[in-house]
Amino acid sequence: MEFLLENILNMVGFLVGLAIGIMSHIGFRNTGSPTLFRLSIAFFSISAGFFIIWSGYMLEDFVTKTGSIERWIQTLGIAIQTAGYFFIAFSHSIKSFFPKSSYFRSVGIIPLFLVSSVQLEHIFRSVSFILLAYGAIETMLSYFENRNKGAISVAVGLGLLALGEFVGWYSFVFPESILYPVSMIIKIGGLVALFIPVSKVPLTKMKFDDLE
Amino acid sequence: MAEYRTHMKIIGDILATTRDDLQDEDGASVTYLIRKANISHSRISTILKTLVSQGLLEKVDNQGFNKYKISQPGREFLEAYYTFTNFADNFGLSI
Repeated sequence: MEFLLENILNMVGFLVGLAIGIMSHIGFRNTGSPTLFRLSIAFFSISAGFFIIWSGYMLEDFVTKTGSIERWIQTLGIAIQTAGYFFIAFSHSIKSFFPKSSYFRSVGIIPLFLVSSVQLEHIFRSVSFILLAYGAIETMLSYFENRNKGAISVAVGLGLLALGEFVGWYSFVFPESILYPVSMIIKIGGLVALFIPVSKVPLTKMKFDDLE
Repeated sequence: MAEYRTHMKIIGDILATTRDDLQDEDGASVTYLIRKANISHSRISTILKTLVSQGLLEKVDNQGFNKYKISQPGREFLEAYYTFTNFADNFGLSI
Protein backbone atom coordinates (compact mmCIF):
# COMPACT_ATOMS: atom_id res chain seq x y z
CA MET A 1 0.00 0.00 0.00
CA GLU A 2 2.72 2.46 1.04
CA PHE A 3 4.89 1.45 -1.92
CA LEU A 4 2.00 2.06 -4.33
CA LEU A 5 1.18 5.44 -2.77
CA GLU A 6 4.85 6.45 -2.84
CA ASN A 7 5.00 5.61 -6.54
CA ILE A 8 1.78 7.50 -7.32
CA LEU A 9 2.93 10.52 -5.29
CA ASN A 10 6.36 10.66 -6.90
CA MET A 11 5.03 10.18 -10.43
CA VAL A 12 2.31 12.83 -9.94
CA GLY A 13 4.89 15.18 -8.38
CA PHE A 14 7.30 14.61 -11.24
CA LEU A 15 4.65 15.20 -13.94
CA VAL A 16 2.95 18.20 -12.28
CA GLY A 17 6.33 19.82 -11.53
CA LEU A 18 7.53 19.21 -15.08
CA ALA A 19 4.31 20.58 -16.65
CA ILE A 20 4.34 23.78 -14.55
CA GLY A 21 8.10 24.13 -15.07
CA ILE A 22 7.75 23.87 -18.86
CA MET A 23 4.88 26.37 -18.84
CA SER A 24 6.91 28.83 -16.75
CA HIS A 25 9.89 28.36 -19.05
CA ILE A 26 7.75 29.07 -22.14
CA GLY A 27 6.52 32.19 -20.34
CA PHE A 28 10.09 33.23 -19.57
CA ARG A 29 11.19 32.67 -23.18
CA ASN A 30 8.24 34.75 -24.46
CA THR A 31 8.37 37.62 -21.97
CA GLY A 32 11.82 37.55 -20.35
CA SER A 33 10.19 37.89 -16.93
CA PRO A 34 12.55 37.06 -13.99
CA THR A 35 9.53 35.92 -11.93
CA LEU A 36 8.75 33.23 -14.52
CA PHE A 37 12.43 32.26 -14.58
CA ARG A 38 12.37 31.71 -10.80
CA LEU A 39 9.12 29.75 -11.10
CA SER A 40 10.62 27.52 -13.81
CA ILE A 41 13.68 26.79 -11.62
CA ALA A 42 11.33 26.08 -8.69
CA PHE A 43 9.13 23.60 -10.51
CA PHE A 44 11.96 21.90 -12.44
CA SER A 45 13.66 21.34 -9.04
CA ILE A 46 10.46 19.98 -7.51
CA SER A 47 9.99 17.69 -10.51
CA ALA A 48 13.62 16.48 -10.34
CA GLY A 49 13.29 15.85 -6.58
CA PHE A 50 10.21 13.64 -7.01
CA PHE A 51 11.88 11.85 -9.95
CA ILE A 52 15.00 11.04 -7.90
CA ILE A 53 12.92 9.54 -5.08
CA TRP A 54 10.84 7.57 -7.60
CA SER A 55 14.09 6.29 -9.19
CA GLY A 56 15.27 5.26 -5.73
CA TYR A 57 12.13 3.18 -5.20
CA MET A 58 12.46 1.60 -8.65
CA LEU A 59 16.14 0.83 -7.96
CA GLU A 60 15.20 -0.84 -4.68
CA ASP A 61 12.33 -2.79 -6.23
CA PHE A 62 14.14 -4.11 -9.31
CA VAL A 63 17.88 -4.08 -8.46
CA THR A 64 18.94 -3.99 -4.81
CA LYS A 65 15.76 -5.56 -3.30
CA THR A 66 16.80 -4.49 0.22
CA GLY A 67 13.24 -3.74 1.34
CA SER A 68 13.77 -0.02 1.79
CA ILE A 69 14.94 2.88 -0.37
CA GLU A 70 18.57 4.00 -0.05
CA ARG A 71 18.48 6.73 2.59
CA TRP A 72 20.84 9.08 0.74
CA ILE A 73 18.69 8.95 -2.42
CA GLN A 74 15.61 9.92 -0.40
CA THR A 75 17.52 12.73 1.32
CA LEU A 76 18.89 14.02 -2.00
CA GLY A 77 15.39 14.04 -3.56
CA ILE A 78 13.89 15.86 -0.59
CA ALA A 79 16.78 18.39 -0.60
CA ILE A 80 16.19 19.21 -4.28
CA GLN A 81 12.45 19.58 -3.64
CA THR A 82 13.24 21.93 -0.74
CA ALA A 83 15.36 24.05 -3.12
CA GLY A 84 12.31 24.25 -5.40
CA TYR A 85 10.05 25.32 -2.52
CA PHE A 86 12.65 27.93 -1.62
CA PHE A 87 12.40 29.50 -5.09
CA ILE A 88 8.58 29.65 -4.78
CA ALA A 89 8.95 31.43 -1.44
CA PHE A 90 11.78 33.59 -2.85
CA SER A 91 9.44 34.76 -5.62
CA HIS A 92 7.28 36.21 -2.86
CA SER A 93 10.23 38.42 -1.82
CA ILE A 94 11.45 36.34 1.08
CA LYS A 95 14.22 38.76 1.93
CA SER A 96 14.56 38.48 5.67
CA PHE A 97 15.09 34.73 5.70
CA PHE A 98 18.90 34.80 5.91
CA PRO A 99 21.01 36.66 8.47
CA LYS A 100 22.78 39.72 7.01
CA SER A 101 26.14 38.92 8.61
CA SER A 102 28.39 36.79 6.38
CA TYR A 103 29.77 35.12 9.55
CA PHE A 104 26.34 33.86 10.59
CA ARG A 105 25.59 32.78 7.03
CA SER A 106 28.75 30.66 6.88
CA VAL A 107 28.15 29.19 10.35
CA GLY A 108 24.56 28.40 9.40
CA ILE A 109 25.71 25.81 6.85
CA ILE A 110 27.93 23.91 9.33
CA PRO A 111 25.13 21.92 11.03
CA LEU A 112 24.36 20.29 7.66
CA PHE A 113 27.79 18.62 7.75
CA LEU A 114 27.50 17.51 11.38
CA VAL A 115 24.30 15.47 11.22
CA SER A 116 23.49 12.09 9.72
CA SER A 117 21.43 11.72 6.55
CA VAL A 118 18.33 10.73 8.58
CA GLN A 119 18.50 13.97 10.55
CA LEU A 120 19.20 15.89 7.34
CA GLU A 121 15.95 14.52 5.95
CA HIS A 122 14.11 15.88 9.00
CA ILE A 123 15.77 19.27 8.55
CA PHE A 124 14.83 19.45 4.88
CA ARG A 125 11.26 18.35 5.62
CA SER A 126 10.84 21.01 8.30
CA VAL A 127 12.38 23.72 6.05
CA SER A 128 10.04 22.57 3.25
CA PHE A 129 7.09 22.89 5.63
CA ILE A 130 8.03 26.47 6.54
CA LEU A 131 8.59 27.49 2.89
CA LEU A 132 5.35 25.87 1.72
CA ALA A 133 3.34 27.44 4.54
CA TYR A 134 4.88 30.82 3.70
CA GLY A 135 4.05 30.38 -0.01
CA ALA A 136 0.47 29.32 0.81
CA ILE A 137 -0.11 32.35 3.06
CA GLU A 138 1.38 34.80 0.55
CA THR A 139 -0.68 33.32 -2.28
CA MET A 140 -3.86 33.54 -0.20
CA LEU A 141 -3.06 37.18 0.64
CA SER A 142 -2.65 37.92 -3.07
CA TYR A 143 -6.10 36.39 -3.64
CA PHE A 144 -7.59 38.95 -1.24
CA GLU A 145 -5.94 41.71 -3.33
CA ASN A 146 -6.70 40.44 -6.85
CA ARG A 147 -9.65 38.05 -6.36
CA ASN A 148 -8.09 35.66 -8.87
CA LYS A 149 -9.83 32.32 -8.22
CA GLY A 150 -6.81 30.36 -9.48
CA ALA A 151 -4.82 31.71 -6.53
CA ILE A 152 -7.17 29.90 -4.10
CA SER A 153 -6.40 26.58 -5.75
CA VAL A 154 -2.63 27.23 -5.69
CA ALA A 155 -2.80 28.38 -2.05
CA VAL A 156 -4.78 25.23 -1.13
CA GLY A 157 -2.26 23.13 -3.08
CA LEU A 158 0.74 24.64 -1.31
CA GLY A 159 -1.12 24.40 2.01
CA LEU A 160 -1.89 20.71 1.48
CA LEU A 161 1.75 20.04 0.53
CA ALA A 162 2.81 21.79 3.76
CA LEU A 163 0.29 19.75 5.79
CA GLY A 164 1.49 16.57 4.05
CA GLU A 165 5.09 17.39 4.99
CA PHE A 166 4.07 18.01 8.59
CA VAL A 167 2.03 14.80 8.89
CA GLY A 168 4.83 12.86 7.15
CA TRP A 169 7.37 14.24 9.60
CA TYR A 170 5.03 13.48 12.53
CA SER A 171 4.69 9.86 11.34
CA PHE A 172 8.30 9.30 12.46
CA VAL A 173 6.97 9.66 16.02
CA PHE A 174 4.30 7.00 15.37
CA PRO A 175 5.83 4.56 12.87
CA GLU A 176 3.60 1.83 11.44
CA SER A 177 0.57 4.09 11.96
CA ILE A 178 -1.75 5.37 9.22
CA LEU A 179 -0.09 8.80 9.35
CA TYR A 180 2.45 8.21 6.57
CA PRO A 181 -0.06 6.95 3.95
CA VAL A 182 -2.35 9.85 4.95
CA SER A 183 0.49 12.32 4.41
CA MET A 184 1.08 10.94 0.91
CA ILE A 185 -2.63 11.17 0.02
CA ILE A 186 -2.67 14.79 1.27
CA LYS A 187 0.39 15.62 -0.85
CA ILE A 188 -1.15 14.03 -3.97
CA GLY A 189 -4.25 16.20 -3.36
CA GLY A 190 -1.98 19.25 -3.03
CA LEU A 191 -0.22 18.56 -6.31
CA VAL A 192 -3.55 18.10 -8.12
CA ALA A 193 -4.83 21.39 -6.64
CA LEU A 194 -1.64 23.13 -7.83
CA PHE A 195 -2.17 21.87 -11.35
CA ILE A 196 -5.88 22.77 -11.71
CA PRO A 197 -5.51 26.54 -12.45
CA VAL A 198 -2.34 26.02 -14.48
CA SER A 199 -4.10 23.50 -16.74
CA LYS A 200 -6.55 26.23 -17.74
CA VAL A 201 -3.86 28.51 -19.19
CA PRO A 202 -4.41 28.62 -22.98
CA LEU A 203 -1.09 27.76 -24.59
CA THR A 204 -2.34 27.05 -28.11
CA LYS A 205 -1.19 30.42 -29.45
CA MET A 206 2.09 30.40 -27.55
CA LYS A 207 5.36 29.69 -29.29
CA PHE A 208 9.04 30.08 -28.66
CA ASP A 209 10.32 33.14 -30.44
CA ASP A 210 13.62 34.90 -30.86
CA LEU A 211 12.85 37.97 -28.78
CA GLU A 212 15.81 38.59 -26.53
CA MET B 1 -1.71 54.86 -2.52
CA ALA B 2 -0.05 54.49 -5.93
CA GLU B 3 0.28 50.92 -7.20
CA TYR B 4 3.85 49.69 -7.77
CA ARG B 5 4.37 48.66 -11.41
CA THR B 6 7.10 46.32 -12.55
CA HIS B 7 9.18 47.14 -15.64
CA MET B 8 7.29 44.40 -17.47
CA LYS B 9 3.92 45.94 -16.53
CA ILE B 10 5.03 49.35 -17.84
CA ILE B 11 6.03 47.74 -21.15
CA GLY B 12 2.66 45.96 -21.22
CA ASP B 13 0.85 49.29 -20.64
CA ILE B 14 2.79 51.01 -23.44
CA LEU B 15 2.12 48.19 -25.91
CA ALA B 16 -1.56 48.02 -24.88
CA THR B 17 -1.90 51.78 -25.50
CA THR B 18 -0.34 51.50 -28.96
CA ARG B 19 -2.66 48.61 -29.78
CA ASP B 20 -6.01 49.58 -28.24
CA ASP B 21 -5.96 53.29 -27.57
CA LEU B 22 -4.39 55.12 -30.53
CA GLN B 23 -4.96 58.83 -31.16
CA ASP B 24 -5.13 58.26 -34.92
CA GLU B 25 -4.06 55.73 -37.54
CA ASP B 26 -0.52 57.11 -37.68
CA GLY B 27 0.21 55.96 -34.14
CA ALA B 28 0.71 57.45 -30.70
CA SER B 29 3.00 60.40 -29.93
CA VAL B 30 5.48 60.29 -27.04
CA THR B 31 3.44 62.87 -25.12
CA TYR B 32 0.29 60.77 -25.52
CA LEU B 33 2.11 57.63 -24.33
CA ILE B 34 3.56 59.49 -21.34
CA ARG B 35 0.05 60.49 -20.31
CA LYS B 36 -1.57 57.11 -20.95
CA ALA B 37 1.20 54.95 -19.51
CA ASN B 38 1.84 57.42 -16.66
CA ILE B 39 5.62 57.44 -16.95
CA SER B 40 8.38 60.08 -17.07
CA HIS B 41 9.86 61.32 -20.38
CA SER B 42 13.39 60.14 -19.63
CA ARG B 43 12.20 56.63 -18.75
CA ILE B 44 9.82 56.24 -21.67
CA SER B 45 12.52 57.34 -24.15
CA THR B 46 14.76 54.44 -23.12
CA ILE B 47 11.90 51.95 -23.15
CA LEU B 48 10.63 53.10 -26.58
CA LYS B 49 14.15 52.84 -27.99
CA THR B 50 14.40 49.26 -26.70
CA LEU B 51 10.95 48.28 -27.95
CA VAL B 52 11.68 49.66 -31.43
CA SER B 53 15.07 47.90 -31.56
CA GLN B 54 13.37 44.63 -30.51
CA GLY B 55 10.80 45.04 -33.27
CA LEU B 56 7.82 45.27 -30.89
CA LEU B 57 7.01 48.85 -31.91
CA GLU B 58 7.28 50.64 -35.26
CA LYS B 59 8.48 54.24 -35.33
CA VAL B 60 6.58 56.36 -37.86
CA ASP B 61 7.86 59.78 -38.95
CA ASN B 62 4.80 62.02 -39.14
CA GLN B 63 5.53 65.58 -40.37
CA GLY B 64 8.69 65.81 -38.30
CA PHE B 65 7.17 64.13 -35.24
CA ASN B 66 7.82 60.57 -34.17
CA LYS B 67 4.79 58.36 -33.61
CA TYR B 68 4.70 54.75 -32.47
CA LYS B 69 2.57 51.82 -33.65
CA ILE B 70 2.54 48.26 -32.42
CA SER B 71 4.05 45.68 -34.80
CA GLN B 72 2.91 42.07 -35.37
CA PRO B 73 5.63 40.68 -33.03
CA GLY B 74 4.48 43.33 -30.54
CA ARG B 75 0.91 42.03 -30.73
CA GLU B 76 2.14 38.47 -30.17
CA PHE B 77 4.28 39.63 -27.24
CA LEU B 78 1.29 41.40 -25.71
CA GLU B 79 -0.86 38.25 -26.03
CA ALA B 80 1.91 36.24 -24.34
CA TYR B 81 2.21 38.95 -21.68
CA TYR B 82 -1.51 38.74 -20.83
CA THR B 83 -1.49 34.93 -20.81
CA PHE B 84 1.50 34.69 -18.48
CA THR B 85 0.34 37.56 -16.29
CA ASN B 86 -2.72 35.42 -15.61
CA PHE B 87 -0.49 32.38 -15.09
CA ALA B 88 1.69 34.24 -12.54
CA ASP B 89 -1.43 35.70 -10.86
CA ASN B 90 -2.42 32.13 -9.99
CA PHE B 91 0.75 31.92 -7.88
CA GLY B 92 0.12 35.32 -6.33
CA LEU B 93 3.00 36.80 -8.34
CA SER B 94 3.35 39.55 -10.93
CA ILE B 95 5.64 39.20 -13.94
